[in-house]
Amino acid sequence: MSSKVTVDPITRLEGHGKIDIFLNNDGNVERAYFQVPELRGFEKFAEGRPAEEMPQITSRICGVCPTAHHMAATKALDDLYHVDPPASAKKIRELVYSTFFVEDHALHFFFLGGPDFIVGPTAPKAERNILGVLGKVGLEIGKEVIGLRKQLRGLIALAGGKVIHPVLGLPGGVARTLSKEDQQQFIAGADHAVEFALFSLKIFNDVVLKNADYMKWIVSDTYTHQTYYMGMVDANNKVNFYDGQIRVVTPDGKEYRKFRAQDYLTHVAEHVEPWSYIKFCYLKEVGWKDFAEGPESGVFSVAPLARLNASDGMATPRAQEAYEGFFKALGGKPVHHTLANHWARLIELLYAAERMQQLANDPEIINPVVRTLPTETPTEGIGVVEAPRGTLFHHFNTDARGVITTANLIVATQNNAARIAMSVDKAAKGVIKSGKVDDGILNMVEMAFRAYDPCHGCATHALPGQMPLRVRIFDAQRQLVQEIKRDG
Amino acid sequence: MADTLVLGLGNEIIADDGAGIFAARALTERLAGKADVVESALCGMALLDLFLGYRHAIIIDAVQTLRCPPGTIHALTPGDLDAVQAPSPHYAGLPEMLALAKQLNLDFPQEINILALEVVDPYTIGGALSEPVKEALPELVRRVEELVGQWEDSGPVDGNELEKLPAGLSM
Repeated sequence: MSSKVTVDPITRLEGHGKIDIFLNNDGNVERAYFQVPELRGFEKFAEGRPAEEMPQITSRICGVCPTAHHMAATKALDDLYHVDPPASAKKIRELVYSTFFVEDHALHFFFLGGPDFIVGPTAPKAERNILGVLGKVGLEIGKEVIGLRKQLRGLIALAGGKVIHPVLGLPGGVARTLSKEDQQQFIAGADHAVEFALFSLKIFNDVVLKNADYMKWIVSDTYTHQTYYMGMVDANNKVNFYDGQIRVVTPDGKEYRKFRAQDYLTHVAEHVEPWSYIKFCYLKEVGWKDFAEGPESGVFSVAPLARLNASDGMATPRAQEAYEGFFKALGGKPVHHTLANHWARLIELLYAAERMQQLANDPEIINPVVRTLPTETPTEGIGVVEAPRGTLFHHFNTDARGVITTANLIVATQNNAARIAMSVDKAAKGVIKSGKVDDGILNMVEMAFRAYDPCHGCATHALPGQMPLRVRIFDAQRQLVQEIKRDG
Repeated sequence: MADTLVLGLGNEIIADDGAGIFAARALTERLAGKADVVESALCGMALLDLFLGYRHAIIIDAVQTLRCPPGTIHALTPGDLDAVQAPSPHYAGLPEMLALAKQLNLDFPQEINILALEVVDPYTIGGALSEPVKEALPELVRRVEELVGQWEDSGPVDGNELEKLPAGLSM
């Protein structure tokens, strides 16, 4: 373990963390706290700006999932201007959004989360990276992932203008139509994506599901929490990333609430802790009962596993098959194992690819009418999408000119924050014994939050020269006894 | 497409995090015909595409080490960064990206320089650039131009050297 400080300006952040672990007299964990810094000032920044800038501006606050912010803000503008986009525009939006989902989930599985499972949780540090993954699955896969992402990013740019800061969504529709040639490109990309998703699931099946050790970790109590789950569903209660109602299920899998985005404040509240910048979301009507599991605690979870738990299935055939296999293998619904997020993510990858295929082949996608012009006076707008990392709410109030008076965003990781904090605490308690903490053990703790793919800062920003992750261990007298900086 | 990539990283609406972006904008015209100047707010592996096909690259970014005065320019090469290992798979960084490019035989720059500006506030959305960062920007721009100039002066690449270049990705 190194205390060396390294400057790595290219390690762009998806939010960096700090874990403080307090030991008891026996050297076992009394409590572990996972802390994150937070970007400041979005609400203030938005005030006084035209609401129509929000899809562009909010997409700039996150270098990881700009398309999710763009889409949530665009939907909030539909609501704000009381306008319903034509079916063609909704389909173009969902097509682009599905494309983005494939790209993002593929990156996470192979590059970010994959090392934990394809290489293995206890593999030597030097192998737990993309090179280790490719060592296991073959170099060609690396080229395939890079090639697919390049193709999909090209498609997003084709429809949205820019990948990083898309300019697709307008209140009431989209900014451009798709030509027949564009449609052909999307069909080709979708076919490629489906093939890739099926292949990824096969790798997961061969490398992870057939490995008894990995499965033992996935279902172990150390990485398990019985909480509520939240996700967006369509009219048939199937997972939907772009539109639908928010459904919440209880820890035993029964529907607890189903509500429109506009009612989120009735159901979701935020709890503040003195030790964290993050506001912890919880179910308002259940109430905040500390970081606790079970039906009496308002803690809930979002993101892939939560979405599968909160739905009755997937709206596309092959993803539905995979969905059924998932619950069958893990003992029925709901699945409470945090590490199962990786598997759930691949099932969603397949759904996104199949959905992309459906929409790309839909004749309406090239309909030249792609906007309903807003005519009403703006007031208040709330939009929601499922971001890859979970449910994302955008809420704007404006004056009659459409100038923002108040803005509020609840990002995915905030919805997940309480359960992530619990996961880190529980994993630390499960793997740290008698005060022994080394790199391998630390990785087992990190795995607990990595499965959620958290994106705390919801922005890219300069890397503090210290670490993306700093772990401090305190003894029973609250004296700092060890500090580990994950500094590359 | 030029031989040299100048990549400005950061986010212009988040206070000093925009330093790399503003420097890149100042360089776009100055380096016309000599280098491609690109801006990005993306991170980690998502940047990989941008490097493909270039011989040289200069990365301009903001850092906060808190170990030197704001406005200091850190001149680094990938060799100064720790090798292969990313801090965690979630934070895949440049060393890992370079190792991957090498492993996959991608058409990647043979030389990468990093100029990172020590900043004051990389966290406040809507915050303005701090004074020390504003004052340091012209020097940062000058240093980038100087580096690009050095490569230009080194003249054309001979045929033997070209043969050693790794094959590009077919996509």
